[in-house]
Formats: sequence, structure tokens, C-alpha cells
Amino acid sequence: MATLTRQDLNFGQVVADILCEFLEVAIHLILYVRDVYPSGIFQKRKKYNVPVQMSCHPDLNQYIQDTLHCVKPLIEKNEAEKVVVVIMDKEHHPVERFVFEISQPPLLSINSETLLSHVEQLLRAMILKISVCDAVLDNNPPGCTFTVLVHTREAATKNMEKVQVIKDFPWIVADEQEVHMEEAKLIPLKTMTSDILKMQLYVEEKTQKT
Amino acid sequence: MDDLYLDNIDEFVNDQNKIVTYKWLSLTLGVHVNTAKQMLYHYLQQKRNESSRTLLHATYLVSGKCVENGSTCHKVSVVREDKLDAVKAKMDMTISVHVYSVQRAELKDSSPLYNTDYDAVKENLKNCNKYSAISCAAAVPMSSTELQRAQEMASVPPVEKEISKTGLNENTSATSKPSAKQPAGIMGMFASKNASKSQESSMEVKTEQKDDSSLVETSKSKTASKANPMSNFFGKSAQKKADEKPNKNIKEEKAASSTAIAIIKKSQTSLKSEIDIKDEQSKVSSALKIESKDTQNKTKRPEVVDSDDEKMESQQKKRRRIKKPQPDSSDDEVVPDSPPVPNVQTPSPKKEVNREPVSNQEENSEVKRRKRRRVLKSNTFVDEDGSFVTEKGYVSESYSESEDKPEPNSQAKDSSSLKHSFGKREKEKKEKSQKKTSTTNKPTKQPSIMGFFQKK
Repeated sequence: MATLTRQDLNFGQVVADILCEFLEVAIHLILYVRDVYPSGIFQKRKKYNVPVQMSCHPDLNQYIQDTLHCVKPLIEKNEAEKVVVVIMDKEHHPVERFVFEISQPPLLSINSETLLSHVEQLLRAMILKISVCDAVLDNNPPGCTFTVLVHTREAATKNMEKVQVIKDFPWIVADEQEVHMEEAKLIPLKTMTSDILKMQLYVEEKTQKT
Repeated sequence: MDDLYLDNIDEFVNDQNKIVTYKWLSLTLGVHVNTAKQMLYHYLQQKRNESSRTLLHATYLVSGKCVENGSTCHKVSVVREDKLDAVKAKMDMTISVHVYSVQRAELKDSSPLYNTDYDAVKENLKNCNKYSAISCAAAVPMSSTELQRAQEMASVPPVEKEISKTGLNENTSATSKPSAKQPAGIMGMFASKNASKSQESSMEVKTEQKDDSSLVETSKSKTASKANPMSNFFGKSAQKKADEKPNKNIKEEKAASSTAIAIIKKSQTSLKSEIDIKDEQSKVSSALKIESKDTQNKTKRPEVVDSDDEKMESQQKKRRRIKKPQPDSSDDEVVPDSPPVPNVQTPSPKKEVNREPVSNQEENSEVKRRKRRRVLKSNTFVDEDGSFVTEKGYVSESYSESEDKPEPNSQAKDSSSLKHSFGKREKEKKEKSQKKTSTTNKPTKQPSIMGFFQKK
């Protein structure tokens, strides 16, 4: 039907909205499944017609929402290449990295009425894969923390540093030690391809987590 | 029989890291569910005997009779393997145990089990019970002429007592009418069961009914209960089977079920669905609604509505329960008069109408009603030490039925890791945290989250 280009920001916003919603659910689910926080703070909610675990701690929720709020403009302009959820142990060494590789086709074309329900189905499958990822991953040491990194194309972050999208929520360039992990195993989890979005999820896991 | 299926299951479980439930397996391989259950069992035995390195986890479906708070009920649960013996020991009589799913991952909660079946069932929506062991020959979708006729009849206010739960149904009594027109076979079967009066016999009756009239809805009750594992008593179970209208009406009366330890009040739902088929929907819907209010207040109540076969008893029960919300209703905003839109009207011959007109007005679940109900709300505040405390408590709040959405209805303790609440995400009004800036600076220590838990 309609072939829209990236200039048609409305559609880009739609894709960014879908993706940010999904990333929020995914981050909560990763925190739940990998035991980063105690299960008591999680509560069952519904997303894409299936139950998912979301935290109800206000600070945590706010942090995740602010993070994604800053990431959204990058996704709209297709400047975000990867969104990575890094789980670190007590010494701030990463033990696991959940990498969401995102790419959007340059010409977004909506040529099917069932597009959104198809995308929903694919996202549901991603959620399912995250839920069972503990079968392929080793257990994390206790006392882990997490952080979210965004890899962008080109120099998109130059603008981000100048203009704070959210007041008092600055983004800084990540340390090398968080970006690169030694002795990493790569475990692919899921790939999804649709007309509006392509996403790949894999986990880089440290071979020895102490 | 060839053992190819063992290789298939092996591929699904080990190579693809899938959760293989018996329902998914039956739909994927095209076999009857009982065959699928046996396949899973054999696979499990084989793998366990081989003592291979790959660790397999399994979940089981256990159903049986147990006594809770003095009344017997039929309990159906999906349990993990390590809890299987404990659950079986708690039951007076275990009726059936079978493998529910096999997977490599150790599931922390049961949401992935539902997720697994969702798409498989959605694809086979029209015949998702093709391989099912539960069937009812009488449960067929209505033809378009019958449907039209039912809709025409629905526009005329009926003489018989018929209160449809419009606030809870998506379609209003258009669906209640078709279900009233179910073939006489079910009515006759149900009418014959009406003779029993005592509680005990009604218990047996229900189990018999469950077996005889194990309608499609029972299988749907399993799927719907999985479909709405956290959904409210009358949550809109419109997720999957929007096509079949009669079934939809039945589904809407599913009891709220929990996850790993699911208590599906099977006899209650089947009983209620049968009553629904009868013309006395009104009583049931009102009784159910009151019950829903009550279940929201209390924790998992055991089946209390029994002996609803007898009209008088059910009316008595309804009367008893109607009295409860009355004090609250006086605080409500002005209750509009019940508009008779889609044929919803309480006929006057009913005795209860004269006795308690106010409560009956409440019971006519019209489109727009203001009611009070107790709602699980999270309350976040800062306590003496400056830590955030979130408490969940039941708060009485008024609501209008037109905006009825699935409500959380479980216990208000957030220490339990398995929650029964299942609602849409609410925007919580809380103050902005002052700590969030420190969390983004990587060299500084992240504030501990345990402060959240120490103050309880």
C-alpha cells in the first residue's frame, strides 16, 4: 500500500514506540529471569496478550523509562545500532551482555493489514525466548547490577551530550571495561524479521563467572 | 509404533530449547492429546534412564479432590516436578496426573507455559479442540439464520427472567440469547440433575455434570484459565476465541485462576455455564458478580456457591449477598436508571425485585453503573528513614461498569513471588526519586535496592 520513507517521521515514531515498549518489557524480564533483583518486586502484567513480569519498584521503573526515553529519538532516526543490557558483578565486571541488534529497512513499507499483529507475534516469541534463556546460560554470581548501553552509528551521541533529553539524566560514554568482555561466549537467542523492524537478540556470556 | 516422535521431541527440547507442552505437541504433530501426554511421558522416562547430561525439567497437571475450609472442591493445578509429591499428598483423592510440559529451562513462573500454547492455539482457533479429549456434541456455533433470529428476539424485552451481565460481556445479551437456545439435549440433561437438593448430592451432581457435559468450555476453561491466568473473575477473556459466541459466554464465567498452583474451580464454572444455558442467567450472573466482589475481598475462597440447582436456594444466596454491598452503595454517585438497552430488564414477577429493589437495580448490570469495589492498589510512600515503601492494599473505590477492566484480585502481600494479579499497567502517581541521577554515573556505587525490602 503505502511506501513511506524515513522522512515520514510519524511512521518512524510508531516503530520507535513499538521498539521502546518491547525493550522495556524485555529489560524487566531479563532482570527477573537472571535474578538481578529479588523476585518479590516483580508483578505479573500483560503484554502482547501474554503474562510478563514487570517490576513495581518505582525507582527501578523510572530509571528504565528514562533510559528508554533517551534512546527513543535515536531509534526514530535509525541511529541506534545496538541496545545492550549489561549485567555486571560486584566489581563492575560484565558477566553477561544481552545484545539487541536493531536495524530498520530504509524504506518502510506497510503492505499488509496484519502487519502489527505479525510484529506482535514475533515480539511474543522473543519474550518467550528470554524466559527460557536460563537453560543455556550459567548462573550469575550474587549481587549483580545492570546497566544499559547504546551503540550508535556515526556520531549521533555528540548531540545527546549537548542536549539533555531528560534533565538530570545524563548519558556518558561507556568505559571500555563495560563494552568489551573477556573470554566471551556468544549464544544466539532469537532473530526476528519483519517489514518494519529487524532485530537480533544474542547473549555474550563470560566463560567463567566466578 | 515407530519411535520417531522421541526424536522429534528431542529436537524440540534440546536443539531448539523449546518448551514442549502436551497441547502444543498434539497440535504440532497432529495427534490426540492423550497420545501427546504419553509421548512426553515416554520421552521423559527414556531421558531419565539414559542419565544423560542434559537436565530436563517437567511440569505436571494434577487434579483431584481436596477439602479447603471445610468444603470439598475439585482442584486442578500445574505443578513443578519437585512439588508434585507434596501437592498429591495434600489431596484427598487424586483423580489424574499427567505430564504437562517438558523443557530444559527451569521456569521461575508459569507465564512461558501460556506463551508457548498461545500461538499454536491461535493458529488452530477454529479447531483447537480437534485433538482434545473433551468434547460436547451439542456445542456447535450457530448458523447465521439462527444468529439473526436470536438477535431479533433479543431486541424484544423478554418475559422470562434474564439479566445479562452487560458490564462484563463484550457483546451484551445477544450472546446470552444464543446460549439460551442451546439444543434441548443439554437442557434436558441439566434439568434432570436439578432434582438434588442437598449440598453433598450437589457436589456429586457437579462432578457428574462435569463428566457428562464436559463441554468444550471445560477444555476452553483450561485454555482460558491459562489464557487468563491472572485475569479477574470476569475479565474479558476475549483474547483468543472471539469467534464462538456461545463459548464466549461460557468462558466469561471462568473463575480467576492462579499460575503454578492453579485452582480452577471446574465444577463451579461448568455449573455456572450450564445455568447460563438455562434461562436463569440472571441469578447466576448476579450471584457471580457478588461473588466476584467477595473474592476480591477475601483470598481464594473455596467453592461456596453450591446447590444452585435449586432456584430458591440460589435466590436465597443472592439475597444474602446482596445485602452486603448495600451500605456501600449508598455512598455511590447517582445511579442512573437502568436503560433497557439490549434487552436487559428485570421482570417484576421476581420476588426479590419487590424485596430489594435497590440491590436489584445494582444487579441489573447495565451499561453504566457506579459501584464500589475493593481494588488492589499500590501505595508508595517515604517512611521515617527515607526509604521508599510500596504497600499493596485493598482500597474501596467507586467505578463504573462501562470501564470495567480486568482487575487484580489476589492477596495483598507482595512478599510472595507468584502473583495472581493480572491487570493492565497503571500509572503510579509517586514523587520523582532523587536518587536517579546517581545511578547513571558509573564510578559511584549504585544505591542498594534492598532498602526497599527492609522496611515492611
